[in-house]
Amino acid sequence: MAQLTSIDYLVILSYLAATMVIGLWVGSYVRSGSDFFLAGRSLPWWAIGMSLVATDIGGTDLIGVGGDAYRYGIVMGNFEWIGCIPAMLVGAFVFIPHLWRCRVTTIPEYLERRFSVQLRSSVAACWLFLMACNLGVMLLASAVFLKSLSGWDVSVCILATALLVGAYTWSGGLAAVVYTDVLQGVVMICGCLMFVVIGIYEVGGIEPLVDKIHAVAKAQDQQDAWQREQKMTATERLAEKTKPRHDRPTHESEHLSLVLPVDTRSPGPWPGILFGLGLIVGPGYWIGNQCIVQRALGAKSEYEARAAYVYGALIKNLIPFLVAVPGLIALVKFPELGHERADVALPQLVGALLPVGFRGMFVAAFLAALMSSVDSYLNSATTLYVNDFYRRFYRPEADEGQMLAVGRWTTIGFVAWGIYFAFQLQAFPAGIYTIFQTLLSFFLGPTLAVLAAGMLSRSASSDGAVTGFYAGLLTSIGLFSLNQPGVCRWLNLKPLFQVGQPYLYYSIWSFLVAMTFIVIFSYFLRSDPPEKTRYAIGGLNPEGGAA
Amino acid sequence: MTILHWIGNFLRHQLDLVPLSTARWFMVGLYLILMFWIIQLPSTETNPPDRSGTWRGDLKIWAWFALMFQIIIYSVF
Repeated sequence: MAQLTSIDYLVILSYLAATMVIGLWVGSYVRSGSDFFLAGRSLPWWAIGMSLVATDIGGTDLIGVGGDAYRYGIVMGNFEWIGCIPAMLVGAFVFIPHLWRCRVTTIPEYLERRFSVQLRSSVAACWLFLMACNLGVMLLASAVFLKSLSGWDVSVCILATALLVGAYTWSGGLAAVVYTDVLQGVVMICGCLMFVVIGIYEVGGIEPLVDKIHAVAKAQDQQDAWQREQKMTATERLAEKTKPRHDRPTHESEHLSLVLPVDTRSPGPWPGILFGLGLIVGPGYWIGNQCIVQRALGAKSEYEARAAYVYGALIKNLIPFLVAVPGLIALVKFPELGHERADVALPQLVGALLPVGFRGMFVAAFLAALMSSVDSYLNSATTLYVNDFYRRFYRPEADEGQMLAVGRWTTIGFVAWGIYFAFQLQAFPAGIYTIFQTLLSFFLGPTLAVLAAGMLSRSASSDGAVTGFYAGLLTSIGLFSLNQPGVCRWLNLKPLFQVGQPYLYYSIWSFLVAMTFIVIFSYFLRSDPPEKTRYAIGGLNPEGGAA
Repeated sequence: MTILHWIGNFLRHQLDLVPLSTARWFMVGLYLILMFWIIQLPSTETNPPDRSGTWRGDLKIWAWFALMFQIIIYSVF
């Protein structure tokens, strides 16, 4: 990318200064543990809604989705559309209001009220492990991308991001995270929108862009198919030639289609998208991820929590146009990069398209996307540790002042851990980021199963839920292992899945296995007492008392 | 080949027989079902508790907008 000028730096510094001012100003109102972890239950719907969207789009997603859109096309938009909007709306009207009504701080806390402390600890430990690892992974992956965008040193990027985010999260907790997310969301959307508009203008408009995408992608597909055919046996080649064309006109590529066949090379075959992403991963993420749900638990009222999710779903309609379209523009401008170098397409496009000042705006948008995710993971990891371990097992009598102090010290601890882990990860290969993303899919299916069973049924028992959670987790790990080339060679088996990144399928099967175990064990083992089952939906009135 | 491979191959083959146009209808159908469900929700669940807001406070309308955009998007792409 071209060098940043002093005007670009001015734009970036203005954004960073505004973020710090908002974060530290909000922090000056924090007086207790409740203020720190749930913003004193005072958050308005518009702030939560924008924060939901900003948190969901990380810095690495911004660049990664662009690179994947270059490789696979607009199918990557599924992850923001069918992967988010149905789940957000079901969450808005069914699950989130119930969690808010239960007056819990964390999702594991709800699981203890509904089921047992064993399940609470198991779920909290899994999510805490994932979030702590993800802090380091996000800091490193984003620093690497930031280096390609701006030329800054990776170590400086890790330290600067962690310390800036750590400062305002330490000061203001959830409220600082949410209100800075609002600014970060606006900067991110405006920065990406400007990029898309300039890009479409440069290509000559929407229609020429569509025609060029089909032409370039079609040529790349043909070259790719030819290369694969050279490695096939005669029988495999014959089978490939007789495959149906899936009713697509011959001049069109798959790049502008959201619905792709079962054997697509992209991560989005339609069964995985519909059943895995739409029905399991999406709901698991928007209902079971503490990092996301925590801000809705801090809403002023049950109505505001619902409204935040609906508002977030509306904004989500726009996001793929902002993060995936730049990848398609890069495909037209730099077709020579090919699949292997698709990840550098976006930084190269920024350098080629954006004039002075605008480049700084895009780097600010990237920083906004990065910081809004890191601060959320930092605050939620702290919340899980302090509420589900420190207060639950060590200091049940801790008052609000002590909770605030411990929350702040824990934040410092996680910042230090994130920096340390990011530096350690530099020794690992680049694929480490994908491995941690796959870890997320291990937990989503089982977490959704126990939450859905607990909220939607009074028959689900704590024994069934604990067994189901572990059975689902083991299923994910087993399927993942059986798909690793080393394991397959050792067992002399073919990989279990034929798509490149089958994590959507891990979620489907882990959810189904978890749910089966919950049903069977709940039916045959002892049922839970009424003080547990009243935490199912319909068991509490709006004030949190028994219905 | 294990039993898991056999199940996987069987499902893959069956799903491969589904035309993409039908798969697209499944996705649009998901949104239509959600629209139908949302319109049936009681107004107490979609309006502010004191009913002080105007039509703009009714979340059904905004949820419908989000779903309509989705139906258009999945019909076009």
